[in-house]
Amino acid sequence: MKPQPPRWADRFLVWYCNPILLEEIQGDAYELFYRTAKESRRKASLYYIWNVLRFFRWKNIRRSRQKNTYSSFSTAMLKNFFIVTLRNFMRQPVHAALNLFGLSIGFLCAFLILLWVSHEFSFDRFHSGNNTIYKILAHAEVEGTYQTYDLAAVSIDVSSIPEVENKVTVIEGERWPNALCFRPEGKPNECIYLNGIYANESLFSIFSFPILEGDTNPLKEPTHIAISEDMAEKLFGLEDPIGKVIKIDDHIDVTIAAVFANAPVNSTLRFDFAMPFSIIKKLWGTSDGQFDSYAFTTYIKTTEGSSADVLTQKLNTPLVLSEKFRKQKIKYQAYPFTEWRLQNKFENGKIAGGRIEYIYIFVAIGTLVLLMAVINFVNMATARATTRAKEIGIRKATGALRGSIIFQFLSESFITVLVAFTVAVLLTQLSLPYFNQLLSEPISMQWYKGAIPFYMLFGMIVVALAAGLYPAFVMSSFQPVKILKNQMSAQGTGSDRLRKSLLVVQLSISIGIIIFSGVMYQQLNFITNKDMGFERSNTVRVEPTMRIFNNFDALKNELKKNSSIIGVAASNSNPLKGEPNINVSWPTKPENTRIAFQAIGCTYDFPSTIGLKLKEGRDFLAKTQDSLYNEAIITEDAVKTMGLKQPLGEHINVNGNDCVIIGVVDNFHTEPLQHARLPVVLYRVNDAHCSAFYVRYQPGTTKQSMAAISEAYKKFEPSYTMKYWFQDDSFNELYKTEITASRLILLFTIISVIIAIIGVVGLSTFNVMRKTKEMSIRRVFGASMTQVLTLLSREFSLVMLIAVAIAIPAAWYVANQWLSGFMYHTPMPWWLFPVSFSAMTLITLLIIFIQGLKTLSANPTKVLRSE
Amino acid sequence: MKGTYLGELEELVLLTVGILYPEAYGVGVMDEIEKQAGRSLNISAVHSVLTRLEEKGFLTSEMSDPTEERGGRRKRIFLLTAAGKRALEEAHQLRTQMFNQIPKMALQFQWV
Repeated sequence: MKPQPPRWADRFLVWYCNPILLEEIQGDAYELFYRTAKESRRKASLYYIWNVLRFFRWKNIRRSRQKNTYSSFSTAMLKNFFIVTLRNFMRQPVHAALNLFGLSIGFLCAFLILLWVSHEFSFDRFHSGNNTIYKILAHAEVEGTYQTYDLAAVSIDVSSIPEVENKVTVIEGERWPNALCFRPEGKPNECIYLNGIYANESLFSIFSFPILEGDTNPLKEPTHIAISEDMAEKLFGLEDPIGKVIKIDDHIDVTIAAVFANAPVNSTLRFDFAMPFSIIKKLWGTSDGQFDSYAFTTYIKTTEGSSADVLTQKLNTPLVLSEKFRKQKIKYQAYPFTEWRLQNKFENGKIAGGRIEYIYIFVAIGTLVLLMAVINFVNMATARATTRAKEIGIRKATGALRGSIIFQFLSESFITVLVAFTVAVLLTQLSLPYFNQLLSEPISMQWYKGAIPFYMLFGMIVVALAAGLYPAFVMSSFQPVKILKNQMSAQGTGSDRLRKSLLVVQLSISIGIIIFSGVMYQQLNFITNKDMGFERSNTVRVEPTMRIFNNFDALKNELKKNSSIIGVAASNSNPLKGEPNINVSWPTKPENTRIAFQAIGCTYDFPSTIGLKLKEGRDFLAKTQDSLYNEAIITEDAVKTMGLKQPLGEHINVNGNDCVIIGVVDNFHTEPLQHARLPVVLYRVNDAHCSAFYVRYQPGTTKQSMAAISEAYKKFEPSYTMKYWFQDDSFNELYKTEITASRLILLFTIISVIIAIIGVVGLSTFNVMRKTKEMSIRRVFGASMTQVLTLLSREFSLVMLIAVAIAIPAAWYVANQWLSGFMYHTPMPWWLFPVSFSAMTLITLLIIFIQGLKTLSANPTKVLRSE
Repeated sequence: MKGTYLGELEELVLLTVGILYPEAYGVGVMDEIEKQAGRSLNISAVHSVLTRLEEKGFLTSEMSDPTEERGGRRKRIFLLTAAGKRALEEAHQLRTQMFNQIPKMALQFQWV
C-alpha cells in the first residue's frame, strides 16, 4: 500500500482551505509527500504537516460565502419558516404544548427569582449617595473571639475625620418607647400603635425620606415630631396635620412639624414617626450625661470616593475611639450601609454571610431549572428530527444552503422561546401577588421598570440560542441523498449519548432539588417541634401599661377565675428572645471575663407559668422568704458554667442584684436554634420593672381565653387597646427567613419535577415510537408484555443510576452546609435519599410503561403491516 | 490596481515559469529555483508568489490532466502573458542599463 500523509493534517487542510484552491494545494502537498516518502516516511509526514501549516494563510482560507447567499433570506422565506413552525406545532400539538409549557414555567421560575433577587439587591439604594453612607459596627473582644454589634457610642466624635460629612444616631426598637400608643382625634380611649425612631437632626439630610409638607429640618426643635403620610392619615384622616399638638405616652406634648413620604418597601429603616432625643430622654428619665454613655445604631455620610477600609482605620484612631472603649477591646468598623441587608452575619469580627446565602441558593436553583427547560427543548427537537428529515432533504435538494437551514431552525427556536417568554411574562404578572404572599414581603409590582426587562430579554436570547443552536447544526448537517433515499438511521439524529447525558443532568438536578428541599423541611419541622424546654404554645404575651401593673394582682385574680387560664406572670425579657447579658457574677468567677447569660427578671409565678421543670430546690414563693437577698433560680447550664458543686444557697449577683440561689431548673433555649443555648438565671423583680406579662391557657381554649384576657384588660385599663402577641407567632418570626426560603424551595421543587417529567415523557414517547416495530416483532415471536416493557425501561435505568450518583453527593454537600448553620439540627435524613430516588424512578417507569402499553395494546400485525 | 512593480522573488519565479514552459507548476517551479539559484523555498511561498503574479496579470493558468503522483489531482499549469513577458524584459533592460552606468573604476578591485 502506498504511504498516506497524516490524516488529521490532511483533514485540517481540507477544512480550512478555500475549495477553489484546494485541488492544486493538496496536489502539490501530496506530490512532495510521495517524493519524500521514498526516503523516509517519517520525514515525509513531518514535511507534509509543515507544508499544511505553511499553507494556512489568509489568502487560502475558506471564507464564508455570505455575499452570495444574502439574497436567499427573503421575506417569503421567513414567512415560509413561520408557517412551517406553525404546521409542526399543529401536527403534534401535545408534544409542542408540553415543550412550550416546560419552557414557560422554567422562565417563570427564573423571572420570579430574578425579581426577588433584584428586590433584595435594591435595598437601601434609593437614598441619594447611598454608596457614601456607612453604618458603624463595633467588634468587642470577648474571650478571644469578637462579637459584632451594629452600635456605636452616642458620644462618638467623628469631627477629626475629614471625609465624614455628617453623622446620625438612630434609636430603633420594637417596644416602648419606639412603639407608642397614639389616639386618633376625637377618640381618647382608642389606641393606634405605631412604631417610630428617635434620631438627631441629620436624619432627613442623610437619608432620602422626602418631606412632603412642613419643616424640612423637623428634628431641630426639641418638641417636634415628623410623621409619615400613613400615620397622618390614620390619626387625622384628610385634615392637615401640620402644627397639631399630640401627646406622647399621654403626657408629653409634641408638635407635628413635618409629614414625610412613607419609606419604600426596600428600606431597612422603617418608621412611622421620628422624634428628637430630648423626647426619649424625658420618657426614659435619663440625664444628658447618662444618655451620652449609651450606644445606638450610628450612620455616617462621607464624601464621594472614600473607602471603607480607610474610614475604619480612621474610626479606630484615639481621637475617635476613646480610651474607655480601647480598654474594653472594642474596635469600630465602617460598613457600607447598602450591604447590611444581605450581609449582616459576623463571625469573630469577619463577615460571614446573611441573606446573601439564600440569594446564592436561589440563583443557582433558578439557573438549574431554566437549564432543565432548555435541555427538554434540545432533546425534543433532536429526537423529533427524523420527522423533519424529509423536509430538510427537499429543502437542500432544491438548493437551500446549510446556512439557511440553520437559520430556519434557529428562527423556529426563537419563535417557540418567544411564545414561552410571553406566556411566562403573563404568568409572572398573574402570580406576583401570590408570590408576594409566599414571601410575606411585597416585591415591587412594577418590575417592568428599570433594568429587569433587559435582563429578561438577554436571558431570552441566551435561552433561544442555547436551545436552538445544537438542533440547528445537527439537522442542517443531514445529507439530502441519504434522507431522500430513506437511508436515515432510525436513531433520530444528534448523538443518542448526548441526549442521554442531558437527561442525566436533568434528573440529577431534580433529584438534588428534591433532596435539598426535603432536608430543609425536615429541619424546619425539627425547629417547630423542638422542645425548647418551656411552653410557648397557648401563651400570649401582653404589652402592659403602668396602670395594669399597679393593679397586677387584681388582674391576676380576675383572670384566674376562668378555668381555662393556667397562669399569669410578668417578666422583663421574653424567654423566646435571647438577650446575652454579661452582668452575672458569682464568687468564683475569674476576673475580667465576660460570660454571657440570659438573665430574666420575673414575678414569682413566672417559672411555673412558662412550664419550667424544677430539678432541685424550690420555686419562688408568693412571699419573699429572705428579706436580705433577692432570690434566683438557675438552669443546669448555669450551674455548670459557674462551676458550682452545691448551687443551692450560693450567692450570685445579677444586674446589680444580690441573689441567693434557691432552685435549679431544666435547661431551656432562649436563643434561636442557630446559636448555642445560653445559661439562664431567673431572678425576682417587681411588677413595675417588667416589660410584659404572659398568660398561658388550656390548649383549645384560645377563643374564650382571649375574650377573658381582653375583658380583664379593659376593666383595668379602659383607655388603651390591648396589644398582644401569641408566643407561637413570635417564635415563627424568629425563623422567618428559613420559613420563606422553604416555601420558595417547595415551589421550585414542584416546578423542577414537572419539567423533568415533561422531559421524560418527551423522550420516552420518542423511544417508543422508534421501537414500535421491534416491540411488535418481539410480541409476534411470543415475548411477554413484561419482557418488552423491561426492554424499554432498560435504557432509562442506566441514566437514572448515573443521575443518582451525581445528585446524591451534591445534594448531601449543599444540605450539610445549610444544616451546619444551625447549632441544633436534625441528623441528615438519609431516608430522603432513597425515597426521592425511588419516587423519581417510579414516575419515570410509570410514564414509560403507560406509553409502552399504549403501543403494545395495538394489534402487532397492524403495526407491522403498515409499511 | 496592483502595481506592475516586480519583486526580486517574483522576478525569479516569473523567469522560472518561462524556463519551464509548458510544464510550469508549483512543485516544478520550486525545484527549478532550487536547482538554478540554490534557494530552497517552501512550496507555500512559491504558491503565494504564483497567485500574486496571476493577480497582477503576468501569468495565466489552466488545469492539467490528473496525474498519479499527486494522488489523482490535477496540476495548475502557469503560462507567461504578454504583460509578463514585458515585465521581464523591462526588468532585464533596467538592470543592464543601470549596470552599464556603473563607472569602470568602481568595478576594479585590484588595489584593494
